[in-house]
Amino acid sequence: MTGLAIDYTTLLPALLPVAGLVLVLVADLVNPRLRRVPYAVAALAALGAAVATVPGLVLGGGTTRETFCLTGRTAASASAPTVDGLPQVCLWQADALGSTLQLAAAVSAVVCIALAWPRTRRRRPPDSTREPVEAVLLLAALAGTIVVAASRDVGTWLVALELATLPVIALVALSGRRSAVAGATQLLVTSLVSFALLVLGVALWFAATGSPFLTPDAALSSGGAFSAASGAPTSVVFPSVSGGVVALATVLVVAGVGFKLSLVPFHAWTPTAYAGSSVPVATFLATVSKIAALAALLVVLRAVAALGTPALVSIALLASLSMTLGNVMALRQDDVVRLLAWSTVAQAGWVVLPLVSISALGVSASATYLLTYVVATLVAFAVVAVTLRDQPGEGRSIAAYEGLWQRSPWRAGALALALTSLAGLPPGIIGLVGKITALRPVVAEGWVWLAVVAAVNAVIGVAVYLRWLRAVITAPDVVAGAGTEGAAPAPVAVARRRPVMVAGLVLASAVLVVVSVQPDLLLRLLG
Amino acid sequence: MSWIVRMIVVLPALAALAGLLTRRQRGLAAAVAVSVSAYVAVLGLIQWIAPSRTADIDSVGSLPLGDLSVPLHLLSDRVSGLVAFVVALVVLGIQVFTAWYLRDDPRYGQFAATVSLFAAGMLLLVQSGDLVLMLVGWEVMGWCSWLLIGHDSERAAARRAAYKAFIVTRVADIAMVVGIVALSVRARSTDLMAVLTATGDGTLLTIGLVGVVIGVAGKSGLVPFHDWLPDAMEGPTPASALIHAATMVAAGTYVIARLFSLYAGHDGARTLLAVLTAVTMVYAALLALVQTDLKRMLAYSTLSQIAIMLSALAAAPAELGPGAGIAHLVGHAFFKALLFLGAGWLSVLAGATAVAALRGRLRPTGALRWSMGIGLAALAGVPPLIGFFTKDTVIDAALDGATSGGGLRAWLVVVALFVTVVLTAAYCTRAWLLLDTPVAETGALPDLEPAVVAEEDVAVVTASDSADDAEVERVHAHGHAPITLPAALVVSVLAALTVVGTLFLVGLRGGVHVGLLSALLSVLLVAGAAYAVWSVSDRGRLDVADRVPSRVREPAVRGFGVDTAYVGVGRAVTAVARLVVALDRDVVDAYPRAAAVVARAAGRAGERSHRAVPSLSLLSLLVGVVVVAVLGVAAWR
Repeated sequence: MTGLAIDYTTLLPALLPVAGLVLVLVADLVNPRLRRVPYAVAALAALGAAVATVPGLVLGGGTTRETFCLTGRTAASASAPTVDGLPQVCLWQADALGSTLQLAAAVSAVVCIALAWPRTRRRRPPDSTREPVEAVLLLAALAGTIVVAASRDVGTWLVALELATLPVIALVALSGRRSAVAGATQLLVTSLVSFALLVLGVALWFAATGSPFLTPDAALSSGGAFSAASGAPTSVVFPSVSGGVVALATVLVVAGVGFKLSLVPFHAWTPTAYAGSSVPVATFLATVSKIAALAALLVVLRAVAALGTPALVSIALLASLSMTLGNVMALRQDDVVRLLAWSTVAQAGWVVLPLVSISALGVSASATYLLTYVVATLVAFAVVAVTLRDQPGEGRSIAAYEGLWQRSPWRAGALALALTSLAGLPPGIIGLVGKITALRPVVAEGWVWLAVVAAVNAVIGVAVYLRWLRAVITAPDVVAGAGTEGAAPAPVAVARRRPVMVAGLVLASAVLVVVSVQPDLLLRLLG
Repeated sequence: MSWIVRMIVVLPALAALAGLLTRRQRGLAAAVAVSVSAYVAVLGLIQWIAPSRTADIDSVGSLPLGDLSVPLHLLSDRVSGLVAFVVALVVLGIQVFTAWYLRDDPRYGQFAATVSLFAAGMLLLVQSGDLVLMLVGWEVMGWCSWLLIGHDSERAAARRAAYKAFIVTRVADIAMVVGIVALSVRARSTDLMAVLTATGDGTLLTIGLVGVVIGVAGKSGLVPFHDWLPDAMEGPTPASALIHAATMVAAGTYVIARLFSLYAGHDGARTLLAVLTAVTMVYAALLALVQTDLKRMLAYSTLSQIAIMLSALAAAPAELGPGAGIAHLVGHAFFKALLFLGAGWLSVLAGATAVAALRGRLRPTGALRWSMGIGLAALAGVPPLIGFFTKDTVIDAALDGATSGGGLRAWLVVVALFVTVVLTAAYCTRAWLLLDTPVAETGALPDLEPAVVAEEDVAVVTASDSADDAEVERVHAHGHAPITLPAALVVSVLAALTVVGTLFLVGLRGGVHVGLLSALLSVLLVAGAAYAVWSVSDRGRLDVADRVPSRVREPAVRGFGVDTAYVGVGRAVTAVARLVVALDRDVVDAYPRAAAVVARAAGRAGERSHRAVPSLSLLSLLVGVVVVAVLGVAAWR
C-alpha cells in the first residue's frame, strides 16, 4: 500500500467529531466538574462537521471527493495503473448523496445535543460522569455515521456501522432507569445478532466477488466481469454460483441493517428503547441512527445496482410489513414517545419502499424520504423535549398537549407542521413531496400491490398524526382539573433557563419550514 | 353617446351605494335617490330619442376565457331606449312616491338604496348586449327583490314571502343559467349578436331556449312558479309597484323579446311558452276575480297581464317581431304603477288593503278616484287608454300568427286572450264597484258581515294573506300622513301617461297594430262583462265574488294550496338530501369506518404480541432473516 494518499480536508467531517471527542475527554480530565463544556464542545464539533460537509454538497452530479485512494494517485489524477493487484478504488468516497446524509446527521446531532443541554448551571458532583460520557458517546456515534456514509470497503463499513450503533446502546442505558436497562438490553441483543448477520453478509459478498470493496466494479465482478486482475490472489471467483451468493449477501445486509432502521420484524427493540431512554437519546436514535443505517444500506445497494437487478421482493415485504404494523400500533399509543417510536417503524417502511427498485432513482428517492422524515421527527421530538421540561410529570401523554395551541402557539405551530409533514398533508408539503418521491420508483417498476399498501398506510398514517394534532389544536377541557393544576406551574417552568433547547427546536423548525416552503431545495440537493 | 348608455347603468348603482352611506340622513338619502333617478330618466329620454344603434359599447372589457368570447358589451337601440326610458320614468315616480309613503319608516334609506340598485339591475339587463351581463342584471334584481319584499323584516309573513320569492325564482334560475350556458356554448360567445346569428347544434339551441323559458317563467310568475308573486305583496306598496310595473316581472318579456329571432324559428320552445302563458293568464284572471285583498287582486292581475305580454311573443309571426310584447310591457308599466301607487295611497287613507275595509273609500277622494278609475279602465282595456291599444295589438299579433301558420299554438293563445279579456273586465268592474259604491248605499250590512268573516277566516288560515298589516301598523302608529304634492303629482302624471302613453309606442315597430274586427270584438266583450258584473252585483251593492260558493272561494283566495305544494317540494328535496346523507353515512362511510375498526383491532393484536421481551424479538428477528433470505435468493434474477 505504498500509494495511500490522504486528503485531510476531505476527511474533516469525520475528523472533527473525533477531535471533539478527544477534547471532551481532555477537558474532563482537566476539570471534572464542568457540566456544560462537554456539550458545548460536542455541539461545536458537530457544527464543524456539518460545515465541513458543505463542499461535498456543491459538487455536481457524478463527481466525488475521494481520499484513501489505493493507487497512489490523488483524487485529481485519473486512470493510473493498479497497485498490488487491487482495482483502482478509493476507500472514502463522499459524493453529493453521501455528503447530504452526513450533513443531515451532523445537524441532527447538533439538535440532539441542544436538547440534552444540562438544565442547571451548578457544577456537578465529582462522582458523576454523565455529561462527558454522554457527549463522547454522541460524538462517537456521529463519527461512525459520517464515516459509514463515505466508506467503500467492507472493513471500514463494518467498523463504522458498529461505531454508530454501540455508543447508542450505552446512551440508552446511561440513564440507569429500569426501563432504560430493559431497552438497552433488547437493543444490545438485537444488535449483536444483526451484527452477526452483517458480517455473514459481508463475508458472502467477499466470497462472491472476491473484492473487499463495496463498489459497482466489485459487484460486476461476481458475474465474471472482473477480469482486470484475474491473476491476483484475492480474486477467487465462482461465476456459476456467485450471483446467488451476492443475492444472499445483499438480503443479509438488508436484514442486518433493517434492525437499525427498525424494520418489521427486526423492530421489537424500538418502542422499548425509545421509551426507556431520555428524549434527546430517543431523538438521536430516531434520526442519526436511522441516517447511519440508511447510509450503510445505500453503500451496498448502490454497488449492487450495477448488476441491473430489477427489484427485491424481500425489501417490498419488509417495507409493507413495517408500514402497516408501525401505523396500526402507533394508532393505539397514548404516550407520545412510544407513538413516535412506532411512527419511526412505519416511516422506516416508507424509507426502504423506493429501494424495491435498486436503481439510482430508488436510491435518491429513499434518501429524500429519509431526510424529510428526519427533519420532521427532529422537530416533533424537540417539541416533546421542551414540553417534557415544562411538565416533567405528564409531558409524555397526548393529553398533556391539549390546548398547546392556546398556551404556546409557536411551539404548537412547529409541532403541527412536523406532524402534518409526517402524515404527508399540507401545510407539511415536504412530507407530501417525500411520499410522492418515494412512490415514484415503486410505480415506475410496476409494483401495484405495494403502491396500494403504501397508499392505505398513508391514510392510516394521517389518522395517527391527526390524533395527536387534534389534541394540540383543541381547547383543554375545563373539567380536567388535574391538567390545569399541572399546567399552573408551567409558566414558572417556562421562566426556567432553556434557551439552548429552544434554539435546537428553532433550528430544526427553521429547516423544516424552509424545505416545506421550497421542497425543490431538498430534491436538488440529492441530484 | 355611448357614455349615456353606461351612465344609465352606473348612476343608479352609485346612487344605491351613496344611499346606503347616507341612510341615516333621511333628507339626504331621499335627495340622492330622487335626483339621481330624475337624471337617469333624462338620460333615458335622450337615449330613446337618439339611440346610438350600436351593440358594441364596452363596459368593463372582455373576460379572458379561452375560446369562449365574453366581450361584455352594452347595446343601445330603439327598443332598449324605450324600455330603459320607461323603467327610469317609473323608478323616478316610485322614488318620489316612496319619499312620502315611507316617510315614517326608520329604514327608508335602505329601501331607497335598494330601489336604486334594483333599477340598476333592470337597466343593465335592458341595455346588455351580452348574455352574461343580462344574467348579472337578472340576479341583481332577484336579490334586491328579496330585500324589498322582506323590508318589514320584523314580520314573519314578510320574511317568509321574501324567502319564498327568492327560492322559487332561484329554482327557475337554474334552468335560466343552463339555458344561457347552452346558448353561449353554441355560439362560442356570450355576445348577443353572436348568439342570435349562430348556426348549428339544434340540441343546444333547444336546451337554451327551453331553459330561458323556464327561467322567465320563474321570474315572471308563469304557472307553476306563479305563487310567489301574490305573497310578495308583503313588501311595501312601492316595492310591489316596482317589481310589477316595469322591472323584474316584466324583465322576462324583454329577455325573450331580445332572443325573439331564435324563438321564432323554434316551435318547441314557443309551444311551451304558449301553453304556460295561456294557462297562466286565464287562471290568474280567475283568481283575481275572487280576491279579498286589493293588493293581491292586483298581483294576480299582474300575473295575467305578464302572461299576455309573453303570449304575444309565443304566438306572433316571425316577421311581425316582438313589438307587441314590448308594447304591452310599456303600457302595463304605466297603468300597473298607477294602480299600485293609487292602492298605496288609498290604503293609507283607509288603513287597510282588504277589499271589505276599502268599500266605498274611493268616492270622496278627487284625484285619486279619477286615477284609480283610469288605471282600472286601462287594465280592463277600455279605449282609448293605453291598455286597450297594447292588449289589442297583442290579440291582433296572435290572430296574425294563427292565420299565418301558427297552428294550434297561436289559436290556443287567441282563445285564452279573449277569455282573459272578459275576466279582466269583470274583475276590474268588480274592484271599481266595490271601491266606489258608497257603503251607505249598499244598505245591506249583512252583506258586509260575511265578507269580514271570510277575511278573518283567511287571515287565520293563511299567514300570507295579511298583506295589509304593514300599512295598517304604519297608519295606526303614525296617523294619517297627508299626501305630499309631489307624490300626488306622481299618481296624476302616471294617470295622464296611461291616457296618452300610446304615443310612446308610435316609433316602435309593430308597437300599435290594432285590427278593426278584433278590437270591436274585445270592446264588446269588455262592455258585456262589465255590464254583467254590474247587474249581478246589483249596481255595486253586492260583491260578485260572494256569489262564488265558499268551498271554492276560500281555496281560491289561498291560491288553491300551491304554497303547500311548494312546501311539499321543499320537503321532498330535504328528504332526498337526508336520504343521501344517510346513505353516505351508513353505506359509503361504512368502508372507512371498517378500515378504522380493522386498524384498531390489528393494533390491539400487535400490542399483545409486543411484550418487550428480548427473546421474542430475537425469535422474530430470526424468522425474519430466514424469510427474507429465502425470498431474496428465490426472487433474484
